[in-house]
Amino acid sequence: MLLESTYQNITPRIELVDVPFFAQSDYQCGPASLAMVLNHQGVDIRMETLIREVYLPGREGSLQPEMLASVRRHDLIPYVIRPTLDALLRHLDANEPVVVMQNLALPVYPLWHYAVAIGYDLSNERMLLRSGELERHSLAFSRFDATWARSERWGFVVKAPGELPVDVSARGALNAISAFEALNGAGAALPSWQALVERYPESGLAWFALGNAFYAEGESGSARHAFDAATRADPELGAAWLNLGLLLALDNESQASQAALRRAARLEGPWQARASELLND
Amino acid sequence: MKTLRATLSALLILALVVTSLPVMASVDASDRALISTQSVLASDEAGAERQRISDVLARADVQQALVSQGVDPVEVQARVAALSDSEAKEMAQRLDELPAGASGVVGALFAVFIILLITDILGLTDVYPFTR
Repeated sequence: MLLESTYQNITPRIELVDVPFFAQSDYQCGPASLAMVLNHQGVDIRMETLIREVYLPGREGSLQPEMLASVRRHDLIPYVIRPTLDALLRHLDANEPVVVMQNLALPVYPLWHYAVAIGYDLSNERMLLRSGELERHSLAFSRFDATWARSERWGFVVKAPGELPVDVSARGALNAISAFEALNGAGAALPSWQALVERYPESGLAWFALGNAFYAEGESGSARHAFDAATRADPELGAAWLNLGLLLALDNESQASQAALRRAARLEGPWQARASELLND
Repeated sequence: MKTLRATLSALLILALVVTSLPVMASVDASDRALISTQSVLASDEAGAERQRISDVLARADVQQALVSQGVDPVEVQARVAALSDSEAKEMAQRLDELPAGASGVVGALFAVFIILLITDILGLTDVYPFTR
């Protein structure tokens, strides 16, 4: 069920005892699960507030996109995890409780449920959840995975700006931080973009995003540096050449600016026309 | 009462759409504006401006749908604002198909009870705690 490397790389037994427990009242497993992971991150929040933010009366439950959206409203960033049991255990090993979506019953008669994974025991192959009214629900890996697989193994962890989960793809992090930035602003997202270029210096898009955040914060020197790094990491990224060209123009370095815009105009993509226009100005 | 509600929700939707309009109007207000991170991430599918407009419309759809599903109109705008563009689009397109995590009591037909009891014992489901 698990990769051999997982057995070698993680602690055999984990229980995140400091994750607080909030028992669900009817249909409120979404708000209860959110309350557990948000309070674990130091956000002092009550269930009633979260019910107002995610509960959908018409469906008597909470939807996945709104669960993620609610996290952003509390100045934290939700990261959807990779859909494998190995990834889930790696997060727990790194002190990251995971909100998981399960179908406790069968596909033809679904019973959708959110719980918080807080630990595991490799030798006995058991998972530990805070689930519904159970503060410490212990169940076999096989039973847990059968219920989790029905949601296509959906789950997420919650991190403060500037921190990244132990395991996240560059693209996954880009989407998560970008969604957070759209709601909370570039200043709030900046520390996470910095953490992302440290983790994935080869990602042109990460440098590009960092450049935009610096620029929005009025730090155009740092922005220029970041766009320049973006073009070196990914010379095919037309948007980075274009933004670099625009900033060079602002600094009255017209020759360098034209050179960057020419690079942008040569690359096929949605910004090619815009780059050509700017060149002709 | 029903017509009052219909009128109110129509007005609400109008208000929400109108308040969203400045977002559309501000697309490329200056042709010296930088390309945003969000538009690059969204550009895999469509041109950035077309994308932006469809995002705004998707958000209006979601607001309307949430109100009709019983969400307090006072709350709905903040809820939709916190969704990313792709989440808003997913909600707009398949709100009724998305699973809603709830886990109330399994209501129940006796046959369903027996089937879930057996699958619980087999370790395939996790409905009745007393099976363990």
